[in-house]
Amino acid sequence: MLQIIIQGLLLSGLYALIAVGFTLIFSVGRVLNLAYGAYLMIGGYAFFFFSQQLGLPILLGVILAGVLGCLAGLLKYRLLVIPLKGDHVAIEISTLILAVVIQAGIVLLFGDSPKVLLPIVPGVTQIAGASVTFNILTATLVSWAILISLYLFIKKTHLGRAMQAVSMDKKGAAISGVNPDHINMLTWGISGTLGAVAGVFFASYTQLSPSMWVAPLIIAVAVVIVGGIGSIIGTLIVAHIIGFMEVIAVAEIAPELRGVFTMLLIIAVLIIRPQGLFGREEIQ
Amino acid sequence: MIKVTATSALAIICATMAAAEVKVGFIGSLSSDTGLSTLRGAEIAIEELNAAGGMNGEQIVMVTADTSEDPTEGVKAYEYLAETEEVDFIISGSIDDVSLAWMPRMQEFQIPTLDTWTSYIGIIDMVVEDPETMAPYFMNIASDEALATLYINFGADVLKGQMGWESTVILAEDTAFGEAITGLITDALGPVAGIKTTEIIKYDVNTVDFAPLFSRAQETGADFIYQVSTVNSQVVSSQYVKLQVPMPMTGVNVGALGLEYWEDTGGAGGGISTLSPVPSVGFELDPVSQSFVDTYQAKYTSRPVMPHFNGFNAYHGLKQAMAAAETAGGFGDVKAWSAEMKKQDLVLEKDGKLWLRYGFWGDDEVEEVTGRTYPHNARFDLTSPYEDAQPSMVVVQWKEDGSVGVVYPFEYATTEFTIPSWVK
Amino acid sequence: MNIRWYHFALWAAFMAVMFALPEFVSRGTLRTVIFANFLAIFAISWDVLSGRTGYISFGHPFLIGIGAYTTAILTKRFDVAIEASIPIAVIVTMIAGFIVFLPALRIKGSYFALVTLAFMELMYQLVQVIRPDLTGGTRGISGIQGITRGAVNGYYLSLTLLLVVAVTVWLVMRTRVGTALSAIGMNEESVRGSGLDTTKLKLFAFLFSALIAGLGGAFYAHYVGAIAPRALFDINFLFTIIVAALIGGAATTAGPIIGAFFLTFLLEYLRPYLPGAERYFIYGGVALLLYMYQPKGIIALLETMKDRIIRRSST
Repeated sequence: MLQIIIQGLLLSGLYALIAVGFTLIFSVGRVLNLAYGAYLMIGGYAFFFFSQQLGLPILLGVILAGVLGCLAGLLKYRLLVIPLKGDHVAIEISTLILAVVIQAGIVLLFGDSPKVLLPIVPGVTQIAGASVTFNILTATLVSWAILISLYLFIKKTHLGRAMQAVSMDKKGAAISGVNPDHINMLTWGISGTLGAVAGVFFASYTQLSPSMWVAPLIIAVAVVIVGGIGSIIGTLIVAHIIGFMEVIAVAEIAPELRGVFTMLLIIAVLIIRPQGLFGREEIQ
Repeated sequence: MIKVTATSALAIICATMAAAEVKVGFIGSLSSDTGLSTLRGAEIAIEELNAAGGMNGEQIVMVTADTSEDPTEGVKAYEYLAETEEVDFIISGSIDDVSLAWMPRMQEFQIPTLDTWTSYIGIIDMVVEDPETMAPYFMNIASDEALATLYINFGADVLKGQMGWESTVILAEDTAFGEAITGLITDALGPVAGIKTTEIIKYDVNTVDFAPLFSRAQETGADFIYQVSTVNSQVVSSQYVKLQVPMPMTGVNVGALGLEYWEDTGGAGGGISTLSPVPSVGFELDPVSQSFVDTYQAKYTSRPVMPHFNGFNAYHGLKQAMAAAETAGGFGDVKAWSAEMKKQDLVLEKDGKLWLRYGFWGDDEVEEVTGRTYPHNARFDLTSPYEDAQPSMVVVQWKEDGSVGVVYPFEYATTEFTIPSWVK
Repeated sequence: MNIRWYHFALWAAFMAVMFALPEFVSRGTLRTVIFANFLAIFAISWDVLSGRTGYISFGHPFLIGIGAYTTAILTKRFDVAIEASIPIAVIVTMIAGFIVFLPALRIKGSYFALVTLAFMELMYQLVQVIRPDLTGGTRGISGIQGITRGAVNGYYLSLTLLLVVAVTVWLVMRTRVGTALSAIGMNEESVRGSGLDTTKLKLFAFLFSALIAGLGGAFYAHYVGAIAPRALFDINFLFTIIVAALIGGAATTAGPIIGAFFLTFLLEYLRPYLPGAERYFIYGGVALLLYMYQPKGIIALLETMKDRIIRRSST
């Protein structure tokens, strides 16, 4: 029992980290960024390149991965979102195409073979009969730290409140002196950074491969559908619902149906409560 | 009389013009180690054959068709080779579902085709059921069923015999491959090796965190974990190493078959053992295969630095296909070529002992251990001392210092099976 | 109905060219055209629902896959004749489309896209787990009975299917129902305001789209001869369908056909020059640039060109 709680908390922390960047862009920009999974891939491969191939310090590798993710987010905003003038369908489709292009790019640069990342923090310990690596523990702690600081940033800072304003009412925000364009750009940058950092941790759980962008995208989609867009706390809670459901399914029921449970949850929520469990249209 | 000579001369000219060269098509992924192994093995064989005068005096050329390991792209690639490039012979480094996808095209076009990677027994079953349309097809790797069967002996001789383990928990991916192997293992592990299966845990290949699965495996109280994974095998083994799961694990881990495994896992691969088709990493080579590897390493500097088993299969297999075509008068008469291909038999010796054999089973020849036929499948041997052919598989183990060696069968072993240092 | 004589002339010219094609091109090219024909059918099916009404479906592989799997299982495992299995496959696909429709009734916009994506993903997982003895699990089903053999026959079969689908869609879209569907794409509220039952209209679009998807999927399975979860319920397959429809020009009949041919031939003609992974990079890159340059598709580019030529000749 204790073991399930520990493993559930660890996995959920990772899922929350994966989903939060996606939620952010969905709430503020009102856009489904289907290339979100590609941020994770860029982050993971960047970390692999800098830390494992070039031998740079691990922390520097994570930072460089984050910087690249931020850059990818900003470029996407400048080169895709602005030219398409907020046409939602066009942005969704172009991000889907972009994700496939990035996948092909990764194959070109790194080949098809999957790669395993070195643990960011090596070592392992036993807690209540469950093996816990320091790596995964770090991932969870970092995830919590990022989520809390993001929450405080949005609640307490001027910029954060401006983001909130844009997500609620773009025109109203513009009237009150907030430049939605700058706020959007900032959001895309933050989302890219969060995605890339999540990618480093996701890849250190699993592996790097050119098709690795699909799985986290599905996780993020699941969290957003079940939670509804807009709430960081909601994202956190739903990540835990999905994470725990998965750990329980794997440990107690049928491991081969792991993914099926998540999909069924999504469909059930949509039928019963289409706006999601914590659905609001703005971030808070 | 003159007219007749003129016509036949014309016919000869036309024939030489039309068939001035032999065209080989490669089908497989151009960006995976698997695909590249087959491609490069075939390239080296072609170079050597051309240097020796080609096939019946005709030079051999090769064209490639990338599948990017996608089944639909596999169909398109096969069509491209058959109808746009009009190749005479196809060599394939395809994975299971890609081979299955182009198989109906092979049956339609009737182009001599040699598979070097997929070992799916279902394809050999198709040869059994439909020998007519499957006549052009050959697979020169021992089928997965034969691999699994010999693995049972490893269980009896090493896992039970040396380590004294009596029960296992099977941790298998939920794929067709996982299911087939699991079925074979559970059927035979108990009665033949005396190892009891306590539980079979099937997992979804997209599983992110294996910690709950390892906990579940530990709770069964079994002596060791039997891993069956192909798709994301590195995830399972690297989490096993990172979590330092206090329970031995062995089995099938396709990710560990190449020499890049150590580099790709960043060292999180020590202690992992897997069955492997022959010749595996860490496998001692006979002089002929060794000289192939030397040529390979002089020619290619990018990965894979060492060809996988299918690279050897492609190298020897392509030469055999050409030799069969020489006797059959080309690839045109598929039945004749197929009959000649069956007769191909290359025995490679090391220190005066049979080491590797590239041959095929007779159509009605029954293999004694499994009691079934393997038409058009590579010849293998399931009983020590392996005097008829090489064993269908070997077990290799990666040590914690990054070295790798063969641990079973003993005749081919270069190192001993050990358990990881963190397992008591 | 707003049909003019030149419409028929255009259709007749298109058909004449297509039916004469095997006389002029190699069998290898015909094989590529067959894939383009099928992709065109799938893209038309997507367009009927998403291009017209603006409800973006990410679940079309789900529908196509159900059609393909149903007929493959029936013929391969139960020896049902193709004449019966294809109609059954179409009906099963329409039922599946109806099931997706129920939750989809209540949601709009990006959420709708996400749900359909979830359905595709669910199917991908289920097909491997449930009754692998029927579905073949991860390896899928190989050796599905063919309807015809050879490139030319396959070509005529796929072409006939495409023409039947295209002409039917074209005619339906010219009726009042078709106009209403496009109106939903512009502004659903105002369509409802004008007294039309949008739920019924959407249901029609769903079922019509599922019908085409099922039909295309079933014939596709018999043509290719092998299906696998990775080939059907896959985000790359989804990508090709949507991009074909959009790059050609959504909400038109010719657009998805043009897009399908453009994409298929782009990828296939890059093969001799870029055999490896570069091919997909260029392919995706060209699609992205073209789409960014003109989201209304090639058909809009052609119209601008036509206008320019007419203007130049008239001055």
